[in-house]
Amino acid sequence: MGRIAYVGEGCTGCKICSVACAYAHDRTFGVKAGRIWVVKEEPLTDYPVVCVQCAKPRCQEVCPVAAISRVNDLVLVDENACIGCGACVEACPFGAIILHPAKRIAIKCDLCGGNEPQCVKFCPADVLKLKELAAVAQEKRTKG
Amino acid sequence: MGQILRVDLTRQKSAVEQLPSRLVRDYIGGTGFAARILFDELKSGMDALDPENRLIFATGPLVGTLWPTSGRWAVYAKSPLTDIWGESHCGGFFGAELKFAGYDMIIVNGRANKPVYLWIDDGRIEILSAKNLWNRNTAETTDAIREQHGDREIEVACIGPAGENLVRFACIMNNYQDAAGRAGLGAVMGSKRLKAVAVRGSQSVRVADDDKFMELVEDAHERVLKQPQAREMTKYGTPLLVAYKSEIGELPTRNHQTGIFAGAGKLKADTIRAQYFAKTRSCFGCRIMCKKVNRIPEGPYKGTISGGPEYESIFSLGTNCGIDDFGAIHKANQLCNLYGLDAISAGCVVAWLMECYERGLINRGQCDGLDPTWGNHGAMVTLIEKIAKREGIGDTLAEGSYRAAKKLGKGAEYVMHVKKLEISGQDGRTHRSVALTHAISVRGADHLRSLVTVDQLGYEETAAKRYGKDKLPEICDPYVEKYKAAAVKDTEDAFAIRDSLIVCWYSCGWPPIFWMPDFAAVAAAATGIKEFGRLEELYRIAQRICNLRRAFNVREGLDRRHDALPKRFTHEPMPEGPGKGQVANLEIMLREYYKLRGWGENGIPTRRTLGELGLSDVAAELERLGRL
Repeated sequence: MGRIAYVGEGCTGCKICSVACAYAHDRTFGVKAGRIWVVKEEPLTDYPVVCVQCAKPRCQEVCPVAAISRVNDLVLVDENACIGCGACVEACPFGAIILHPAKRIAIKCDLCGGNEPQCVKFCPADVLKLKELAAVAQEKRTKG
Repeated sequence: MGQILRVDLTRQKSAVEQLPSRLVRDYIGGTGFAARILFDELKSGMDALDPENRLIFATGPLVGTLWPTSGRWAVYAKSPLTDIWGESHCGGFFGAELKFAGYDMIIVNGRANKPVYLWIDDGRIEILSAKNLWNRNTAETTDAIREQHGDREIEVACIGPAGENLVRFACIMNNYQDAAGRAGLGAVMGSKRLKAVAVRGSQSVRVADDDKFMELVEDAHERVLKQPQAREMTKYGTPLLVAYKSEIGELPTRNHQTGIFAGAGKLKADTIRAQYFAKTRSCFGCRIMCKKVNRIPEGPYKGTISGGPEYESIFSLGTNCGIDDFGAIHKANQLCNLYGLDAISAGCVVAWLMECYERGLINRGQCDGLDPTWGNHGAMVTLIEKIAKREGIGDTLAEGSYRAAKKLGKGAEYVMHVKKLEISGQDGRTHRSVALTHAISVRGADHLRSLVTVDQLGYEETAAKRYGKDKLPEICDPYVEKYKAAAVKDTEDAFAIRDSLIVCWYSCGWPPIFWMPDFAAVAAAATGIKEFGRLEELYRIAQRICNLRRAFNVREGLDRRHDALPKRFTHEPMPEGPGKGQVANLEIMLREYYKLRGWGENGIPTRRTLGELGLSDVAAELERLGRL
């Protein structure tokens, strides 16, 4: 399956990834309903944060209603089962799961449900990739 | 979405109104809305710093979406620098955030009795004390507000000390490096004792026909991606223009005396990239990503790190002051951003002082002991600080070059302005269409409400497509007047729509990717208003906006006499370089332009023209005041 990988540098902080993500899931344009976010700091820092699909997801461990599961290396939220308690938000070490600002249930990267991830497709700097972890490691080794 | 937030600072009250559908149909958004509101709500002759001036923060139907350059917003008010229509556009992230909070527009009037800032948290509106923010620079203000509310993603539009001190060319800043720079709207904000507008929005923008909209969006991204000059912009940003303008002999130098600058090589984009480049950044939702952060590694300005400078700052704070030290320009540009000064007017005011000094119209004592000779970058940087603080000579310069010359009683003939706005980094002698643009632009000597690029940058294919093959070669010849009035008018119309949608000027004017047919398609898909999709109707709206803004200025007493260039452009031929001997022949273009606009020879829209555009009420108002 892979994950959304930000390999190296080059994020310019435009937030198109968030907007494309929100549109892919809600068909409206926004940042806070995205499942990928950009951290911006002065004067030189921009980087994206998105779920890395942990092998042992803490969000899954703490979910009191078992709404989070891991299927084919992908961590998924059952939106019907989620009660919006936010325990997963507190447990995630990366800040990569949030409550949807309107629906108030947990949302996180689902790799666009098997379709082409829209953040990858729209990223103007071309720095977001859908990659297997092994491929990420191999690339890093090759680059030295 | 679709709401107007009205804030009365005198009464400390706010109210939310629904956007009237008629306003949307007739004016689209942004600049269109502001034109109607400022004409309706302001009285002619009022002081721009009067509490009754309206300060409008606006977005448009494309802001916050995936359209590739839609991270824009704009501010409007009567300008304290020019005493006419004031409009200033900005990138950054404030516009999208305002939209996500549910507002297309904020209209502020009145004056708080103590410094305040406006806090907009979706539907919650508060007017809060800015006691701890007053006197702080724009970066500190942004940080402090984010800290106060415990959210680093809050977007802030604020003024610095320059706006507080009512410097007539104070700007409004967002995101540390993005400025609503021109026309002094930061001073209007300061006059209202409004330090900042802080916004947090959790909502999303809906478009009417999302399938069609996304089809257009994907095509638009593809077209930007394929445009070689857009790629160059991504790599170098606007400093790209330094080399080009140097080559054609139109890099305004020493208060626009010439277009040739000996030190240009030190300021070219490839030099900057090799020696100072630190990072590429971007405004919201942009595929061009022209923002560059630069760092000065050595010399007196060592350690300066900041976004910018853009081409216009390199011109105003650099070449126009005879300065080729990039570190000094970068430092001065950063100071402009922190203090909240329009970097174009700030540099040009200093350039004017330098020319007065060169000609012996002002002495060292009057300059607080500084020695403002061409190229003295230390003096330039010090003057920027003095202007922001209104200290010594800075207090005079803070009035803008037009008023400063009056105060000094000397140097008026060297004030490079149109309608009191300092001239941006072009020269009408070697770029005829820009001579007309500077002269007729609604906010004064402007390069952003219309700017024909096909002549200067030689886009023959674009020119043929937009204006017809039969207009070649003249339309692309920067040294002839022929066809330029039509091109300037068409561009002004297209930009009125661009500024109402609101999208960035990069990708429309330069490089030439999107134009009216693209705006028509996307405006219709976004709003569901089919009429926007008809090119003819879109041009009618554009003309309505242009005429209404013009009517605002006519009501303030302006006419043909004010559509004038400094003598330097019309009577002093370009002294050297490829354009040597060229002067601007404004009159011939001006006559043609008025005719195309349906205005009288006095430059005033006729009753008939206004009536045809659905502006009979405007005609009646001008008639009542004896201006028609």
